[in-house]
Amino acid sequence: MSHHLPALIFLLPFLAAICMPMVGLKNPGWCWPMAIAVVFAMSVASIANVVVVMDSGEIRYAFSGWAPPIGIEWVDDGLASIIMVTLSLLALISLINAGPTSPSTLGQRIVPYYTLILLLVSGMTGIIFAGDLFNIFVFLEVSALSGYALVGVAGGKALMSAFRYLILGTFGASLYLLGVGYFYAATGTLNMADLGQRIPELMTSKAVVGGLIFMFIGLGIKMALIPLHGWLPDAYTHAPEAISPFLASLVTKVALLAWIRIMFWVVGANAEIEHVPVLFLLEELGALTAVVGAFLALTQHEVKRMFAYGGISHIGLILIGVGIGNPTGFAGGVFYLINDAVMQAALFFLAGAAMYQYGVRSIEDLGRLRGQAPWMTGALIIMAMSMVGLPPTGGFFGKWYIVLGALEAQHYLAVAAVIISTILTLAFFIKLFERIFRDSQPSSGIISVEAPFSIKVSVGTASAAIILLGLFSDPIMGFLLESALPPGL
Amino acid sequence: MFEHLDAWLHRPNFIVFVILFSWGLYIMVVHHNLVKKLIGMYLVQTSVIFYLVTLGVKSGATVPVLLSTTAPIRVEAYANPLPHVVTLTAIVVGVATLGVSLALVAAMYRKYGTLDEDEILKRLE
Repeated sequence: MSHHLPALIFLLPFLAAICMPMVGLKNPGWCWPMAIAVVFAMSVASIANVVVVMDSGEIRYAFSGWAPPIGIEWVDDGLASIIMVTLSLLALISLINAGPTSPSTLGQRIVPYYTLILLLVSGMTGIIFAGDLFNIFVFLEVSALSGYALVGVAGGKALMSAFRYLILGTFGASLYLLGVGYFYAATGTLNMADLGQRIPELMTSKAVVGGLIFMFIGLGIKMALIPLHGWLPDAYTHAPEAISPFLASLVTKVALLAWIRIMFWVVGANAEIEHVPVLFLLEELGALTAVVGAFLALTQHEVKRMFAYGGISHIGLILIGVGIGNPTGFAGGVFYLINDAVMQAALFFLAGAAMYQYGVRSIEDLGRLRGQAPWMTGALIIMAMSMVGLPPTGGFFGKWYIVLGALEAQHYLAVAAVIISTILTLAFFIKLFERIFRDSQPSSGIISVEAPFSIKVSVGTASAAIILLGLFSDPIMGFLLESALPPGL
Repeated sequence: MFEHLDAWLHRPNFIVFVILFSWGLYIMVVHHNLVKKLIGMYLVQTSVIFYLVTLGVKSGATVPVLLSTTAPIRVEAYANPLPHVVTLTAIVVGVATLGVSLALVAAMYRKYGTLDEDEILKRLE
């Protein structure tokens, strides 16, 4: 029974998404509780899944009993299972937050809205478990299509952002598919385990190198690496308050996970193109993204846009971690990925709450928070500590292991990039806090609506999770080092 | 020089793919009309699908269904179904993307009464 868990985790949100229109036809009010219940069940299943993987090792799930490489295979190893727990728990909190912050103009369209959210979650589940390159493409598109629609759901400015996201995202997906085609032409298989045995000896082939480059550019657009990030800030800023946390915390991280899968499980950590290690290139790209993203965040005037650029910079930090190519760096990078997912969700919950309660959009508006909502300011302080990297938050330990890995491998450029991006992150949070604590603008006379309980719960849970990740960093790192490392590292 | 040209001409399908892909990309980048951008996007998708289809071509081969269980199996008589299945799924994904994008464009047209990107951006400000 327990070996069916990966399929069960996927089918829960997927079947619920199909049933949603039937339930919602008569009772649109049931959609929100139903989505929460389903994702809660999914979280329970994924926690059970981690326990099973810890006890009995990885699960390789062959659909309808067709053994790979002929059949379609899902790989449920340490990495996939722990990311799956992160995804389902964050989706749960984001859904709790989504109820009151969803656009009020939706009306009857609330039914397809929750259907799309569940499809987004199931698509990301598919990417996490996929053991086959083409499967990743399909689920990437399932989640991306729901994402485009959800960004544009509120209308107005969001439509143009959604359109740009769609054009760039589809172009990225086409490039990825082209890369998959190249790999298929060179090896005749799409199964990752099978490819992993054939690709390393083919690294001199132009078809494989070309395919690798196309795939990485395609996924690079999906996860918003610095030269390819154009769609992200607009999409996150104009998306409904309820949707930004899903996009910011999960969509880009899952694309990054697909990249990690291909890099370490298919191409191999030691792959070289013309004597240049591929991992080294990725690490440098990550360093560029980390520094430039944090710098761009510093120049923004809108709160959500600033957080969006901060998220781009953290994608770079994760890439530095996994790109170092030693166990400490890899585990640190994956741990930072989990942390970053939580931090991004928390920041966008808070932006949504500030928007809901005080109508805060730009940084100038943040002065309205002063002396008004201590819970909000307190939560922002915890998030800022983690984004900058101060103990005892999770962000500190993530950065610590990344820097430790870089020092072990003597990659001093990576260390410098981490430090510079940390300083820039500190600078943009100082900009925020200056508005809250030091502004001379009067904070009275602002009409405020008390935020509903569910928003407070989501902000509180996410802030608590940041601290808990820091306190329990040792067991999580131990698990990652023991059972999430790729072969040959 | 001419040897390379000869090698290229042996794979006309790749040349067609490159032309279609670059043409689609050009349309996507250059045109300001949103529907024309979508046409370019669809051309890019179609070119990749075209490339995948040409990978699966095998002359003299038929559908991979065994007609008799007793006759010896000749591998060269059957086409590999995998590229075809991949292509089919990619077409479905492409159609779904086009549907979503046309819905977005229709919503923008209803709101702004134009399909020109510059015009819409001007009104957004």
